[in-house]
Amino acid sequence: MKLHRIFAIFLRHLYNFRRSFDRLSDAFYWPTIDLIIWGLTSSYFVSLAPGTANIMIAVIGGIIFWVIPWRAQYEVTVNVLVDLWDKNLANLFVSPLKLSEWVISLLLIGLVKSLISVAFASLVAFVLYKVNIFLYGFYLLPFLILLLMFGWWIGFMVAAILLRFGSRVQTLAWTVTWAAAPFSAIYFPVSILPDWAQVIARLLPSSYIFEGGRQVVFQHTLNWDYVWISFGLNVLYLVIALFLFSKSFNGALRRGLQGIS
Amino acid sequence: MNALEVRNLTKKFGPPAGGFTAVDQISFELGEGEILGFLGPNGAGKTTTLQMLVGTLTPTEGEISYFGKSLFTNREEILDQLNYSTTYTNLPWNLSVKENLTFISYLYTIKNRKKRLEEIVESFKLQDLMKQTVGSLSAGQKTRVNLAKAFLNYPKVLLLDEPTASLDPDIAKYLRDFILNQRKEYKISILFTSHNMREVEEVCDRVIFINHGKIIANDTPLQLAKKIDATEIEILPESSVAHFLKFCEKNKISTEVAGKHIVLKVKEKEVAGLLRDLTNEKLEYSEISINKPTLEDYFLKVSMDKPL
Repeated sequence: MKLHRIFAIFLRHLYNFRRSFDRLSDAFYWPTIDLIIWGLTSSYFVSLAPGTANIMIAVIGGIIFWVIPWRAQYEVTVNVLVDLWDKNLANLFVSPLKLSEWVISLLLIGLVKSLISVAFASLVAFVLYKVNIFLYGFYLLPFLILLLMFGWWIGFMVAAILLRFGSRVQTLAWTVTWAAAPFSAIYFPVSILPDWAQVIARLLPSSYIFEGGRQVVFQHTLNWDYVWISFGLNVLYLVIALFLFSKSFNGALRRGLQGIS
Repeated sequence: MNALEVRNLTKKFGPPAGGFTAVDQISFELGEGEILGFLGPNGAGKTTTLQMLVGTLTPTEGEISYFGKSLFTNREEILDQLNYSTTYTNLPWNLSVKENLTFISYLYTIKNRKKRLEEIVESFKLQDLMKQTVGSLSAGQKTRVNLAKAFLNYPKVLLLDEPTASLDPDIAKYLRDFILNQRKEYKISILFTSHNMREVEEVCDRVIFINHGKIIANDTPLQLAKKIDATEIEILPESSVAHFLKFCEKNKISTEVAGKHIVLKVKEKEVAGLLRDLTNEKLEYSEISINKPTLEDYFLKVSMDKPL
């Protein structure tokens, strides 16, 4: 594995990010809009029921933390998609670039962009509502890492589908993570979901993360069971996603990288 | 040692039964410092073969080795010393030329990247294009950037798929000279496809013809052209055209009338005898041009599957 090749892919997408208004708006505009709409909505509800200020923190925290898997997935998937659109995959893989180096670059881009978006969203939350999620610092760190893993494996599963079917299924890049949102208990506990939905929620690592996050905010305790269950599920799904991505890439090689778009 | 050896390379698409064989058991070599033309009509299997040679398409069967090492087991080492330019892939359109060449330079092991970039920019006259996005370039400018990309890593083996397509004649000539100089200076081995047969004759030491996925000829451009045994003699008669046609009919010489000119088609060895007979018959002409067969004639014959 060579660092200069990982850096090459990182650089390619950094240049693209700088030159793309779409990507810039995804990183900064949408998190801000979400914070404004849901922040104002929750602050209205808090004003109706005094003494429930923590709800505001839970909602704002939910919005900010949801940015992590969303950005991590989005960066993995859309950066694969961009190379399909540009018909650039063959250019990349006539070089000595390895699949593992490509994967690591995409993971790193997801990490960096998630951190940028979260830092920005946190700043906006602080400026608008005086909510500082970093107050819970150390306790929230495991959840941040688990959310990142959650975004990564969804990203690679969708990227595997893109490599198999091409850009005609590109809409998955923007929709799949959001399909997991209702089952992830971002703003509400799993217990209020219907029974069948609770089963799905329990299979998703994200539900444990958000429930655990609320426990940190409301009870100031870290539920390690949630952390380990979420970690186990994330590792399992990440392994499956990378296996599928690798299989899909080999399938693309059998059909020819030059023809994929 | 050969720079490239290909043995029984085959690519089948679709299901095993009823699929389509794009490349069928081809074998050939590319010598060190050799420029090999890889020609064939559209759909013959050229691009499929090139994709397999650079590792972006998995062969159904066969072996590809560079400098005696298998591509399949030494991919990283081989691809670091190889490069490819084709009109069928694009560089990222919204990145500038400089950004594209910079990130691609990091994909390869290059000792002094900055210096190499400067050399390549100068060689391909890209100074004025560096800040422009690839999407805003003309077809010819994109081709130049693609070629610059292909030379970035001091390749030992270079696969060029129609490298001078879309280029103005002066730039195409400059690039042909550049390729020949690079071969001379660095002993680069080059596999070269083109639809410009004059270019192939000028640049290539040897030519492989492929059609329906099979190699049907492997020889020097001169020897391949010689396989066409028809020479065309175009004359402008001074006397009546009818007299010429009558003479040709009597001697069973194939003719074509093109305006005031007559084109006589004979075997190369019969040219001298024909000219002597025309003089003896007092069939005078004011202009004559003898067109010997070229690689293009060979290409046309082979592409139309006509017997030689």
